[in-house]
Amino acid sequence: MKTKTLLMASAISAIGSAACAEDYVIGVMSAQSGYLAPYDGPAYAGFQFCIDEINAKGGLNGTIPVRLIVKDTRSDIAVGVQVVQEMIDEGAEFIVSSADADPTIAAAQITAADMIPTMTFAGTAPVLTQVGPHVFGSYPADNQQAAVLAGYAREQGFESVWLVKSPDSAYTLGGPEYFGEAFSALGGKVVGESNYSLNQPDFSAIVTTIQGAATPPDLIVTWAWEPDFPAFIRALRGAGLDTQVMGGDVLDTPTIRGLGDVVTGVVHTSGGFPDEGSAYADFIDRFKAATGTEPDNNYYVNGCDIAHMIEQAIDAAGSTDPAAVSEAMAGIENGEGIMSNFTFAGTDRMPLRDVVVARISASGDKEFVLRQSADPAILPKP
Amino acid sequence: MNAPSLNTHPTRLQAANGLRTVASLAVLLVTVAVLVWGFGRTGERIAVLMCVNVAAVVSLMVYCGNTGIVSFGHGAFMTVGAYLSGILTMPVGLQRSALPDLPGWLAGYELSVLMAMPFVALAGLAVALLTGSAIARLAGASATIATLGLLIIVHSVAVSAREITRGSQTFYGVPRVTDLLIVLIAALVFVLIARVYRESRWGLFARAVRDDKDAATVLGIAPSRARLIAWSLSGAMATVAGALYGHILGAFSPASFYLNLVFAQVVMMIVGGMASVGGAVVGVIAVTFMQNSVRNLEGGTTVLGFTLPEVFGLTTVALGLAILLVIWLRPQGIVGGFELGPGAGALLLRRVGRATRPADAPVPVGEMQLVAQGLSKNFAGVKAVDGVSFEVPTGRITGLIGPNGAGKSTLVNLMTRQYDADTGTARIGDIDLTYLPPHGVINRRVARSFQNLRLFSGLTAYENVLVAALAAGHTRAKAHAVTLRELAAFDLDDIADMRAENLPYGARKRLEIARALAQEPAILLLDEPAAGMNPAETDDLADRLETIGRDRNIGILLIDHDLKFVNRLSARIVVMNRGQKVAEGTPEKVRADVRVIEAYIGRGRTARVAGQN
Repeated sequence: MKTKTLLMASAISAIGSAACAEDYVIGVMSAQSGYLAPYDGPAYAGFQFCIDEINAKGGLNGTIPVRLIVKDTRSDIAVGVQVVQEMIDEGAEFIVSSADADPTIAAAQITAADMIPTMTFAGTAPVLTQVGPHVFGSYPADNQQAAVLAGYAREQGFESVWLVKSPDSAYTLGGPEYFGEAFSALGGKVVGESNYSLNQPDFSAIVTTIQGAATPPDLIVTWAWEPDFPAFIRALRGAGLDTQVMGGDVLDTPTIRGLGDVVTGVVHTSGGFPDEGSAYADFIDRFKAATGTEPDNNYYVNGCDIAHMIEQAIDAAGSTDPAAVSEAMAGIENGEGIMSNFTFAGTDRMPLRDVVVARISASGDKEFVLRQSADPAILPKP
Repeated sequence: MNAPSLNTHPTRLQAANGLRTVASLAVLLVTVAVLVWGFGRTGERIAVLMCVNVAAVVSLMVYCGNTGIVSFGHGAFMTVGAYLSGILTMPVGLQRSALPDLPGWLAGYELSVLMAMPFVALAGLAVALLTGSAIARLAGASATIATLGLLIIVHSVAVSAREITRGSQTFYGVPRVTDLLIVLIAALVFVLIARVYRESRWGLFARAVRDDKDAATVLGIAPSRARLIAWSLSGAMATVAGALYGHILGAFSPASFYLNLVFAQVVMMIVGGMASVGGAVVGVIAVTFMQNSVRNLEGGTTVLGFTLPEVFGLTTVALGLAILLVIWLRPQGIVGGFELGPGAGALLLRRVGRATRPADAPVPVGEMQLVAQGLSKNFAGVKAVDGVSFEVPTGRITGLIGPNGAGKSTLVNLMTRQYDADTGTARIGDIDLTYLPPHGVINRRVARSFQNLRLFSGLTAYENVLVAALAAGHTRAKAHAVTLRELAAFDLDDIADMRAENLPYGARKRLEIARALAQEPAILLLDEPAAGMNPAETDDLADRLETIGRDRNIGILLIDHDLKFVNRLSARIVVMNRGQKVAEGTPEKVRADVRVIEAYIGRGRTARVAGQN
């Protein structure tokens, strides 16, 4: 009986939400639970905030109101496939997919038939756009982040690097490998590599290996995230090794900065930095005023930038036809974003965007170090 | 209405099994029909995923349900299936760019999904046989841990084998299967296979081992072989289910088949009822309906004028609640311990009239004897059995008595290989039983019952005896006839379709002997068959044993504490005390033996009794 009632309710809700013809319908896959929730949650919040702002001004480019269909994927790829199909059934003309390569590629294979543009919230694996010309990244890709970080490391005079990576995810494996490639291209040397498993509680064996290396590295690079990075850095510093550590944008969180002395001086990449008076700082103020929540990572603003990317692509296309929007998106050059500007033209649709390098200060704050685009000459191939 | 005749039981059982298969298939078909006709395209898509889940969970149940071992390792088979099928079916051009380093022998096939399936199933079978050779030797928690180990190993290999799997990166370009008909047919075929296997000889053997490994072993069932067959079939099916899952996703990575998926499928199986195919089907349906109903409420909606807010995560909460409720209210799952559908005793089947003729009494056994020679067994320095020798010839009942702890049951355990003897032999002709594997003793026509009842609690009384007859090597038709004969011999007609665990005590005792006799042994070792029976039941049992011993000329070793019962039946009695044989002879001679009196009432009292005389 309960099931019947729930099914009736579902049916009623489906009927009640039938599309209005003039709306531009955007389907959003948003994992509200599971491993993608920490990224999809903020990204969706930022996206919805800016779509609301756009709608308040009459819609995209002031003329096309947006209607969102948002569905939870629970970070489950099978559910993701199901919801993408449902959203297309419900008239979605653009799909914003979860912040990882697996669900984005799975979604992109479904949207390929109608060339419905598909953009990941924050997936950074460069491979994800290889599925077709309708698939787009939004965040600076791993290879761009790695190339900028490698350039900075070489400028600082680091000669030898030890890579700590995990084959358990494309991000934790790809980031350090891209770094090693770019670092070598700039004349540095990879002197050793260690592998760890995600959620590995003890890093003492890796630390001992680094300690005992024939050629001690002057730099350690890892794309490890929580809780692996805290466990690693504690083991490293606990063993008395004060080697410089650099990492990916996943270290740009309040919890990492709150680890205390062990992370002082750690350098990491980031998608953006809210300089005083910048559009990013203004976004933070507006978002906080409207929602009461302070955006404490870049996924919020990147979610907002996706709304602006869609708006500019539709403007360039002069229509909402999916194939035309895909083509127009791929041709955008120096599009205006809040986190940073973006260029799809000439790329394989992972946008060229500025990468920020930041340092964690002794007081646990994020210090701006530099902002630059990756040098195409040393950009590792996906 | 009168109870149906026992002799119609085989036909009724066959009909019931057929109806149970139809019930599982019908539940699935009706559900798919409701989804498709009630909810259109969305319903059809839910049905596609549900059918693949049915295939996967039914595969899982073939092993878990029939062996009682929860497996977390089936994600490993699904991984193998998805990647292999993906590689075999991927368009050649796409394969060159997505998998540039793919070994030549794997590249360039571009088969259709249907064509790839036999190869996928064979690969799954090979992996299952290889891994099963180790895992099938284990039971309980250690087997579960081993399956988890398999999952971790295959996951790690999939992550490392980057040339073949793209490592932890997304494996894409797999042709998508979105046709409901294909996955529905697959799910129906899987249900059919699982049902046929469950009621087959090997399915019954696996369930017997699940319920009592030692009892199954003495019937001649090799536990590891029974489990290996369940594992292999289950593994091959799960590999095909994994391939289907891969084809509905189109893109995946090793993480797609790891713990999250495995836990979800185990939950579906447990929610529905792990012991039955119908349970697996109902579990998948229940979880699918619950998740999809709640999912549509998550985004916020208006129901009957009430506006519900956006609450994400409801599906996870609802799933957790469902598991809690099921564990609390129905620990055996929604369907329970039985298969979905009517049993052989159902009213619906009472009109089934076709009878099977019970088997004729077996040909009387010829002259032979079981000879124990110098059998000994120490447990941590305690001599449980110490150099005991005696004979159990056919054609008579030999009593074995002694006070508690005398070593009687240990002696039987030595002769039937439940324990390894430290020294001594137990021979049938030239064959020394102590060198045989435990399940090989019955091949020498030595059967036994246990001191503590060891029935297959999840099987009916009829199936308990049927398993023994099948294990003796009879054809199915002959096994049914033998089962009818033995159940009638022990007056178990009325309770044939009851589960063993629900039988009254006396019936259970008789059933255990009937089960042993279904194997047509030459020597039957009965360990306290009358324990716990009232005098009338004991007399009745004595009559039956006398008749059977006389008609079949079998040799019975009768252990019991009821000396009146033993004296009545036994032509010769062996007496044990503190692990040693202290007397042997006719009942009269043994009764008068001072060592026997000492064993039972103590040395001091014996002296006083002697003095008073």
